[in-house]
Amino acid sequence: MAIIVAVLGCLGALVVRANTVLDHRWDWSVIPIYLVRTDPATGTWAPNLLLQGLFTTVRLAVWSLLIGTIIGTVAAAMRVSARPALRWLARGFVELIRNTPPIVLIFVFYFFVSSQVMPGLGIDRALRMAPTMVQLGVASLLASPERINDFMAGLACLGLLAGAYMTEIIRAGLQSVPASQIEAGRALGLRGWAIFRKIVLPPALRNVLPAMAGQFIVSIKDSSLVALISIQELTFMSSEVASTTRRFFEVWLFTAALYFSVCFTCSMLFRALERSWKLRT
Amino acid sequence: MLIRNILAALSCIVLLAAPPVRAQTAPQSAIDTIEQRGSMMVGMATFVPWAMRDSQGKLVGFEVDVATKLAQDLGVKLELVPTAWDGIIPALIAGKFDVIIGGMTITTKRNLTVNFSAPYDYAGSSLAVAIALQPDFKLDKLNAPSITIACRRGTTACTNAAEFFPKATLRQFDDDAAMTQEVLNGNANAFAASEPLPSRTTIENPGKLFTPLSQQDQLNRLPSGMAIRKGDVDTLNVLNNWIAANTKFLQARRHYWFETQDWRAVVGKVN
Repeated sequence: MAIIVAVLGCLGALVVRANTVLDHRWDWSVIPIYLVRTDPATGTWAPNLLLQGLFTTVRLAVWSLLIGTIIGTVAAAMRVSARPALRWLARGFVELIRNTPPIVLIFVFYFFVSSQVMPGLGIDRALRMAPTMVQLGVASLLASPERINDFMAGLACLGLLAGAYMTEIIRAGLQSVPASQIEAGRALGLRGWAIFRKIVLPPALRNVLPAMAGQFIVSIKDSSLVALISIQELTFMSSEVASTTRRFFEVWLFTAALYFSVCFTCSMLFRALERSWKLRT
Repeated sequence: MLIRNILAALSCIVLLAAPPVRAQTAPQSAIDTIEQRGSMMVGMATFVPWAMRDSQGKLVGFEVDVATKLAQDLGVKLELVPTAWDGIIPALIAGKFDVIIGGMTITTKRNLTVNFSAPYDYAGSSLAVAIALQPDFKLDKLNAPSITIACRRGTTACTNAAEFFPKATLRQFDDDAAMTQEVLNGNANAFAASEPLPSRTTIENPGKLFTPLSQQDQLNRLPSGMAIRKGDVDTLNVLNNWIAANTKFLQARRHYWFETQDWRAVVGKVN
């Protein structure tokens, strides 16, 4: 009880001191203006810059985690495979991505992928010529035709980043299943894929759920790095709003609160998952 | 076993024989790309009042007006691509957009990597200094090792500050808000930026800053041009002739955005 009071007291003193030193005129009214806007034509509410950025961040996070999990599972299987070629390939991939700072990786990868590979694929040209319903559908799931190239390139970077770290997490999970379990499966007459699906995968996932939750949250926060390459997610939009209104503290504090709420929701979901998957012993 | 090896060998051959993905050998001129695509993609960054976001989230400002009229005259749609300023030239060269219309000052260093149109605007670079230095202020007081000057990374104001005050420490920031906050917090003694940012910041924060330079003797008064990729004569020709034909329009827009404050009422919560 005393400790809680002491900590709260310290925090309160910090806030008061910061306020006196900063001498800042707080003006939170810019936040609602740039959060939601009233469409002049229809009169309904529509998301403004900050909410649009939040939606893009969520899209980036969800897709990069999906891609990362797929890459991670495949690479983890390669890592424990009997063939040395597959093992070396997977190990090379993981070491390359893990040992490079994410920002450097994003800069290098993004400019290469975005200028060489994306125009070759022609996704944006195809999307521009598609009917409006298709464009709207793609825009809500991914991005509008003008932004699709950037979005996909940024997604590729983030997916690779998530994939490398997921590989190690999933590999740890796979290797945590004792060999005796697999032998028991073979004794029962099960073959490779059935053993993997019924005997190895459930305990493996259960064991690495906390680590995976951590990686999910890290991926959500890593999506803020792509603001440096001008993908219009939450961090980029906050920077624009802060520069335009010059209400630096208010905008960034609010953005921090938004990121916190997204990550905390993820954390809560994982806690619920952990509880529901716990073995009843 | 045999089939797996054969499949692996076949896939190797197919991958090696596939034509390599690379940029076109004879790059199309930007103007042709624009006409084909039916829209002009313009790169810019947030600099009040060159380009900024109004309360509806739309981009507005002097450069936006210029780009809108240019797209109108070319008969194409306009797509604005907001980009971080310090990466805007690499983004242009990588093909993210066709032209930079963002109040970019023409410098010889930049000219080595991009082509510039004829100047369509002039920007003066000036200072806002902390009020603590006001008594007996002289410009050379800023040229001392104990002085810190803040500026925005990639702008000519940074180059000017380094040139005029070589002994001072330069701190570079990625956006205007961070740069001005540094001086208001007292961590830097002054910031260098293009007018009207220093004057506006001084007016908004009464009693904290002062501007030592008048309109006439700003640090430097340099031309702004539109930037396009190298080797593109056709687009250069179109842009230069457009600028020559629209001087009245450009002057009227400059007067509206830089010399009046009427746009503040229309744009909303912009500082």
